[in-house]
Formats: sequence, C-alpha cells, structure tokens
Amino acid sequence: MHLKLKLLSAFLTIATLLIVAGLWSIKGFKDVQISIKNILDENYRTIQAAHNMLQALEREDSAILLLMHGDWEHGREQLEIADSSFIAELEVAKDNITIEGEAQLLANLNSVYGEYKTIWERPIVSTDKEGDLQWYQKVAHVAFQKVKHEIEYLAELNDTSMYSTASNLETIAERAMKPGIIAIIVTLILIAIFSYFISALVVSPIVRMTDRVRAFREGGELHKLDIHTGDEIQDLANEIRLVAKRTKGTR
Amino acid sequence: MRFYVVLRYTVLTFPVSAFFMLISGGIAWSEQTPDMAPLLFSAAIALIMGIFPILFVHKVPHISNKEGLLIVVLSWFSACVLGAVPYILYGDPFTLTNAFFESISGFTTTGSTILSDIESLPHGLLFWRSATHWIGGIGIVIFALALLPFLGFSTVILFRSEVSSLAQKDFQMRARKSTRVLLSVYLGLTVAEIILLSVAGMGLFDAVTHAFGTIATGGFSPRNNSVAAFDSIWIEGIIIVFMILSGIHFAAMFAAITGRSLMVLLRSGVVRLYLFLLFLGTLFTSLDLIFQQGRGPLEAFREAAFNLISVGTSTGFATADTSLWPGLSKLILLYFALQCAGAGSTSGGIKVDRIILLFKSIILRLKQIMRPRAVVFMKYEGNVIKEEFASQAVLYIVVYLLIVTVGTGIIATGGVSLEEAFSGSVAAMGNVGPGFGQIGSLGNYGALSGLAKWVLSALMILGRLEIYALLVFFTPNQWSQSKAY
Repeated sequence: MHLKLKLLSAFLTIATLLIVAGLWSIKGFKDVQISIKNILDENYRTIQAAHNMLQALEREDSAILLLMHGDWEHGREQLEIADSSFIAELEVAKDNITIEGEAQLLANLNSVYGEYKTIWERPIVSTDKEGDLQWYQKVAHVAFQKVKHEIEYLAELNDTSMYSTASNLETIAERAMKPGIIAIIVTLILIAIFSYFISALVVSPIVRMTDRVRAFREGGELHKLDIHTGDEIQDLANEIRLVAKRTKGTR
Repeated sequence: MRFYVVLRYTVLTFPVSAFFMLISGGIAWSEQTPDMAPLLFSAAIALIMGIFPILFVHKVPHISNKEGLLIVVLSWFSACVLGAVPYILYGDPFTLTNAFFESISGFTTTGSTILSDIESLPHGLLFWRSATHWIGGIGIVIFALALLPFLGFSTVILFRSEVSSLAQKDFQMRARKSTRVLLSVYLGLTVAEIILLSVAGMGLFDAVTHAFGTIATGGFSPRNNSVAAFDSIWIEGIIIVFMILSGIHFAAMFAAITGRSLMVLLRSGVVRLYLFLLFLGTLFTSLDLIFQQGRGPLEAFREAAFNLISVGTSTGFATADTSLWPGLSKLILLYFALQCAGAGSTSGGIKVDRIILLFKSIILRLKQIMRPRAVVFMKYEGNVIKEEFASQAVLYIVVYLLIVTVGTGIIATGGVSLEEAFSGSVAAMGNVGPGFGQIGSLGNYGALSGLAKWVLSALMILGRLEIYALLVFFTPNQWSQSKAY
C-alpha cells in the first residue's frame, strides 16, 4: 500500500470514529431532549392542572360554608370563580392525555365533579341546608372528598410516570455519554498506535537508510537494507541498493 | 521484538467479533430494542481497530516464537476487552466489572454469569453473549487464522500456543490443515446441533444460542432456568450428545467423520477413559440421588446424566440446582469440574490426558520403589511415554491446584462461604461455569464482590490459556531464549 494511502487511512479511521461517536452522542442528546419534553408536556402540565383543580375545589368548599352561613353574595361569587378555574384546568388535563388509564380517570373525575356541582348549584341560603352541619358532613363533604381523591389519583399517576421517565433519562444520558468516553479512549489508543507506526515504519527506516548511505559515501560497505514496509520507503531502499551496486562498480 | 507485527496479528480477531456484533445489532434492529446502538457502535470500533493495523503494516514472511506467543495472549485480552464494550454501552445491569466478567466468561467459554434475570435482556445482546462463546470456543486465534489464511508460516507458532500442549503431540497434521480441520468439525457440529434442536421443538434463536454454548462447551443460555426451561427429554438428550462430542479431541472427531465410523473414536484410550468416567460418574450420582433423596430411577438418571456431563465437559448448562444434591454427588461433580474433558477440545480443566499421566507416574514411582534396580518405563497403549511429559503433567496439576487454592482464599476473604469460594474457583479455572450455593447451576455471580469477580476473571483466563502460556508470557527469560522461525 502507498504511504499516502496509509497515512490517509489512519486519519480517515480516526475521523470515522469521531463521526460515529458524534452521531451517537447527538442521537443520545436528542433522546434526552425528547424525554425532557415528555416530562414537561405529558406529566408536569397535568400535575400542575391537578394542583390548580385542588385549589379551586378547596375554594368551592369554603364557598359552600359561606353559603351555609347565609353569605349568599360572597359565596356565589367565590363558587363561580372557582368553578370556571376548575373547568379550565380540567380541560388542560383532558387535552394532555398521554398515559394509559388517564382518560378513564378524567372521565371519572368529570362525573364525580358533576355530582358535586349539583349539590351546590341548588339554593343553600334560606333553605333547610343553611346552618345544617350534618348535611354538610354527610352530603357536601363526602362529594368533595370523592372529587379530591380523583384529582389525587390523577396527580399520582402523572407523578409515577414522571419519575419513571426521569429514571430513564438518567440511563439515556449515561448511554449518550459513554460512547463519547469510549471514542476518546479508542482515539487516544489509535493516535498512540499511529505515532508508533510512523516512528517504526517511516522514520526509523529513513534514519537507517541515511546512516547506511552516509557510511557508504565515506567509503564503507552498504550493508543490507532489510526494509519490508511494502510502500515507497521499501522502493527507496531498493533503489539505494541498486545505485550503490552501480556506484561500487565504478569506484 | 517487532511490536507493529504483534499489533497487526493481534487485532485480526476484531473483524470476526465485528461480524457477530453486526448480526447481533441486526437482531436488535429487527426488534427495535435499546441494545441496537451499543452493538452497532461496538462493531464500528471493532472494524476500525481491526482494519487500521492491517492496512498500515505490511504482511511479514515470518513471525518469531515470542511474537507468536505475545499475539496469542494479547488476542485473548483484547478480544475480552472489546467484547465488554457492548455491555458497558448498554449499562444496567452491566457495571464495568460486570461487563468484563461477562465478556471474559464468554470468550473463555466458562459460562458464569452476573445476570439474575437473563430473559429481561434484549435478544441482540443475548445473541452477542452466546457468540462470544462460539468465537472463544475454538480459540480466537485459530478462528482468525482459519478465516484469514494469508498468514503463511506464522500459523504454526500461533497454533502451538493456542491448543493444549498434549494435543499437539498426537495432532499429526500440518498446522494450516489442522486449523481447517478444527473449523470444519466445529462448524459441522454447530450446524448439526442447531438443526436437531430445532427439530426437537426449540425456536431458532434458542437453538442457535444453545448450540453456540454447547459446541464451545460454554454454557450461556438465554433462559433464566438454563436448559431446564424447556423440560424436554429430547432437547436434553441432543445437548448431552453434543456436549460429549465437544469434549473429544477435534482431530479424533475429524478422523471419525472422514472414516464414517464413530468406532474410530473408541480406538483412543483417552476417549474410552473419558466416556467410562462420565458413565461411572453418572451411575454413582444417580444411585446417590435415588438412595439419598428418594428420587425415581429414571428421574435421577436424567438429572444426573445431564448435569454431570455438563460439568464434566466444562459446559455448564443445567436442568437442576446441583447445590441441592447430596454430599457424594457434589463431590463427584467437583472432581469432574477439576478434570473436565480431553485435550484438543474446547473443554477446560486439568483434562483426562493429564489425569492418565498422573496415574501412570504414580504407578511408575511405586514400581521403582518396589523394584529399585529394575529399569521401568511408562507405557500407554503400547507406546513408551517420556518421563518428561508425565513430570510436566504432574507439575501442571500441582500449579493448577495451587492457583485454585489461592483463588479460593482471596474470594473467601469477601465473606463468601468456603464451599462457594472453592467451587467458584474450580469452576472458573476449569472454565466450567457454575459452582455451588448462590453461584450454583441455577444461580449467578452477580452478588459477589468486585474483587471476587476480578479474581475469577483472572482464573478463567489462566485456565483458558492453560496456565503456561500466561506464565511463560510473564517470564523474562522466555524472550531471550526464544528462536525465530
């Protein structure tokens, strides 16, 4: 093989390795990016919605207590604000169904919230419900707890999924990093081997030839040039040998 | 010493590994599993590292003795390091130590694993795991030489270092031809077993991986319960036959195949003794299981035959947890884990040939003591054996047991029971695979400490290179005394 091709093959080898490692790392980081996006889009948004729904639900519960104390104006106002906030957050969660079982959970939540809503949509002020703590405990609070549990299930489902994705993220990040490390190690080994080959198969034969030719020029014998590199350096050694043979004949 | 020549020939095994990594990567690709990228990246590294020195260094007309020896030892080490790369890249459950342990166990055809849930791994990686057995089985160097026959005369030296020294003595063919013979027998047996296992009801993937494990006398199974997972007397029977065949000198196998008669095998005293000992071991173990554990005769024979032959050929497949066997059966199993099969096969251990020489030496010494003035010879099948050979065999056994003892001591310091430490050392040194207890036939080495895993890895390599190749490699005198070919 020609010396030029040998040198080229070495550089190409190292370049190929770096390209492969680079592509892998890009793929790895792309996977990390997708996982982060999944965490944010699929889980975190729903968890946030669940958190907001819980707050709205708590406000609705407070509003019911206000109505039971006869404060119609503040109670109704708080109920309407909390209800619209709850529905908006429920829509966010419905638009973001990504986990198995999540759709069923949201359908249940919708249903139990509907039941809860029918309790406070009917008049409370100036009815027998006003000041009736037993009604609150047995009817309103029970319905409230049902909705709350459904919201908690929804948050828990997304929490678990987020934890699982985050755990995978660690593995993905590790997998993205390792090829880079291995590529660096392999490249260093290849550079060391390449330097050794250059020294042993290029520089060393040239030095040997120079020494032998110098010795021959100073009147000595041209000792055998035992060079088997299979490239231009071996050709050069053969040519020197032939020139020396001819020169020896004319001395 | 021309290190560039050593480098050129050392990495010849890399393209072979790359080929199997590509097949494994192809399986992962077809199943879209996460092992695809680790396998393909490893294949790229193997190809790059393997081709670069071949391109750069011109083919040399001859290789010296010391260069040949260095090539053999470095080939094993480099193949084991390269083989660990897919595991390292895959990650959990493969830590750096676990990855090297699994790779060394694969290439040395030991079959010890750190995996507790093998079936949870994707098929691509499991295929690579079994392929390391197959590549290592016949000796990476011979494999490469057979595939790349352009090495010329250098084959002789490499071959000599690779194969058990006892096998060389009666392996009369020229090295290049014998390499071809080994490969033909090896390939033929593998294909035959794959076909038979498929016919017996195994899926293609299981048939190929189990055939790789059997012919290489390795023992990696892609199933958590090894061969027990199939619960088939036919599958067990087929594997038993191929385990026995793989423990016989490959040249004898070739002679039997070309002579179209299995009787050719029985002409060899070593083969006869090997088969007789396996039969005797199976018989005693069966009786022990019947009388000590009240097993039915057929059940006892089936369990004893498979598991004893598996250990006796240094394969390591299992159909039962041999840790639960009675004491005598365990003792018999330990003996076979030390002895293993014949020289010139892919089996590990002390080997039947050396056991014969040991007993011949003992008889000779006894004769010399009884008749001090008589001239006595050591004979085997009518031929006089040089005392030098017997001395070497005895020395080998002593060194072998010494290394096992040291290994046991180191492993036992990590809180492992003596039974586990000893059986683990014996199994690693003999390239058998399973020991007793948590590292038993249906257990794994995952819970052992990092130190224990590295010690066992060292024992596996020492056992595979028949101690001497490695000891000579580290002996400075070897370099000054060796002659160039």
